[in-house]
Amino acid sequence: MTGIAKPLDLPAGVSIRYTFSVLAVASALSFTVTALPMLHLAANRLVVGTPVSAAVLGQTGWLICGLCLLGASCMGATRSRLAAPVAMVAFAMALLLFTVALGQAASGLTDGQPPATRARLASGAWAGLLLLAGTSLWAAGRTRINGAGWLLVAGLLIGFLLLHRAGAYDGLSLAVEYRAREAVVQGAVLRHIALSAAAVSLAAVSCVLLYAWRRSRGVVEIAINGLQVVPAVALLGGLVALASGLLTAIPALRATGLSALGPGPAILVIAGYLLLPFWRGLEAALRAADPSSLDAATAIGLTRRQILLDLHLPLGAPILVGALRVASVQAIGLATLGALVGAGGLGGIVFDGMAQFAPDLILLGALPVIGLSLFVERGLSLVEDAVHRRWRG
Amino acid sequence: MRLRAALGPLLVGLALAALSHPAVAGLIAGLFGAPARRQLSASRLLELGSHHLALAGLGLLLVGGLGVGLGITVTRRRASGLRSAIDTAAAAAQAVPPVVVVALALPVLGFGGPPTLLALVAYGIMPTLRGTVGAIEAVSPEAREAGIALGLTPRQVLTQVELPLAGAGILDTLRVALVLSIATTAVGALAGASTLGTPIVAGLQNQNLLPMLQGASATAALAFLGDALMLAVAALVRR
Repeated sequence: MTGIAKPLDLPAGVSIRYTFSVLAVASALSFTVTALPMLHLAANRLVVGTPVSAAVLGQTGWLICGLCLLGASCMGATRSRLAAPVAMVAFAMALLLFTVALGQAASGLTDGQPPATRARLASGAWAGLLLLAGTSLWAAGRTRINGAGWLLVAGLLIGFLLLHRAGAYDGLSLAVEYRAREAVVQGAVLRHIALSAAAVSLAAVSCVLLYAWRRSRGVVEIAINGLQVVPAVALLGGLVALASGLLTAIPALRATGLSALGPGPAILVIAGYLLLPFWRGLEAALRAADPSSLDAATAIGLTRRQILLDLHLPLGAPILVGALRVASVQAIGLATLGALVGAGGLGGIVFDGMAQFAPDLILLGALPVIGLSLFVERGLSLVEDAVHRRWRG
Repeated sequence: MRLRAALGPLLVGLALAALSHPAVAGLIAGLFGAPARRQLSASRLLELGSHHLALAGLGLLLVGGLGVGLGITVTRRRASGLRSAIDTAAAAAQAVPPVVVVALALPVLGFGGPPTLLALVAYGIMPTLRGTVGAIEAVSPEAREAGIALGLTPRQVLTQVELPLAGAGILDTLRVALVLSIATTAVGALAGASTLGTPIVAGLQNQNLLPMLQGASATAALAFLGDALMLAVAALVRR
C-alpha cells in the first residue's frame, strides 16, 4: 500500500504515452481558454458588457501559445536537468506576455470611447492567468532547486509591478478602479493586517493564560470547542447586540471609550475562533517531549524553567509555528467579516463592491485577502520546516 | 453509551433556540432597556430557518457527495499520482474565505441562493475530501491485505473493509462539514439569500438590537442542533 502516498513524480522512463497525454491535456486546455471571451467591454463600471474573443490578442496570442507549447513539451518529453527550468521560464514569460497583451487589448478597445467605458477581464482571461500561474509553479516544483517557487513568485511580482508602473495595464478596468482608490486600498490592506495580527496576539496570549489555569482546563476546553460551532456571523451579531445592550443599560461605560461597533468586538470574535488552533498546538507541543526524558531531566536536577526552555521548547517549536500558521490564515479570512461591525479592513471594500454590484471593486478587496493568506500560509510553513530542521537535525 | 456526547450540543442548541423566540429575546432586550422594535415573529423565524436549513442541507449533500466521492477516488492505487496536487489545491482553497467566494460569485451568479451554494461547495469540499482521505488511509494495511488475501475484488475491499472501518472518521468529517455549511449559509445573507443571517446583517446595518440577537441565537442554535444530530447518528452507526 506504499503506492498511495507516493507523490506526483517523473515517470520511470520517458514513455510516449506520458508525453502524448501531457501535450493532449495542454492543447485541450489552451483550446478551451481561447474559446472563452478574453474581455468584456462595458459602457460603465456596473454593467456586464459585450464579450470580446481571444482574436483581440493578435500576434502576441500566437507567441503565448508557442511558449506554452515549448513549456508543455519540456515537461512532457525530456528528462534532462534543464527541461524543468526551461519550462518554468517559458510559462512565466507566457504569463507576463499574456497580461501585457490583455492590457494592450483593453487600451485599444477603450481608446476613443467615453471615459466611463471599461474593459474588464473575462472568464477566458482568468482561466488563462490561473492556468499559466499553476503550470509555472508546477514546473518550478519540478526543477528540484531549493526555493525555485519563491524565486519565480518574486520575479513575477517584480515583473507585474514594473509593467504596472510602465502603464501596461492602464486600460484594464481593475487598474482604473485601483487608480481611483489607491490610498483607500493601501490603508485597508494595512488595517487588515493590523486586525489579524491583533487577533492572533490576543488569542496566543489568552490561550497560554487559559492553559496555565490548570483547575478549569476541562471546562475551558469544552468552551473553546463549542465556540467553533457558533457561526462567525452569529457570534459577531450576538456580541454586538449584547455589547450595545450593556452600553444602553449602563451609559457610564460609554465614557470609558467602550463601543459596541468597531475593531474591538471584531478582534475579540476573531481571537475567539483562534483559541482552538493555539490550544491544540500547545497541547501537542507539550506532549512532544516523551515522559522518560522528562523524568531524566528532573532526576539530574533541572529546574522547571530549564525543562521548559531546553526540553519542551525545541521539541514543540515546529508544532507551535504550525498552530500559528493555521491561526493566521483563519484570522485573515475572518477579518474580512470584521467590516460587518465597522472594523474596516479589506472586507469594507468587498462589501462596498457588493452593495454597488461593482465587480472590479469586489476584486480590489478580494484579491489582496487571497494574496495575503496564501503568502502567510506559504511563508509560515517555510518557517515551520526551518524550525523543524534546526531543532531536530 | 456514546449518545451522551450529543447531549451537550443538544441542550445548548435548545437553549439558544429558546433565546431566539420573540418573547424571550424581547424580555432580555427589555432588561437592557432597549426598545422592542421590529422583532421577528416566530413564524418569520421558522421561515428563515427552513430556508437556511434547505440551503445548508443542499450544500452538505453536494459537498458530501463530491468530497467523499473524490476522496474514495484518489485513495485508489491508480490515482496515487494526484495526491500532492490535491493537497496543494486544498491549501489554496482554504486561502479563500467564504465571504470572498460569495462576493466573487455575486457578479457572475447574481443575488441570492446560487452564490451561497457556490461558496458552500467551494469552502466545504476540500476539508471533506481531506477528512475522507485521512479516514481511509487510517485503515490498517493488515485489514486491507487480509481482505485481498481472502480473494475480495478491489470493489469488495472498498465496500466491505475500507468503508466500514473508515465510516466513523468520514461521519466526523461530515459533521464538521455540516457545521461549516450552516455557518457559510449565514454569510450568504450578505449576497441577499434569505437565511437566518439576514436579520443579523439587517440589524447590524440599522443598529437594531432585537432581530440581531434573535438571528444570532437562532443561527447558533441551528449549528448546535446539527452538531448534536450528527453526533447522535455517528453514535448509532458505531454501535
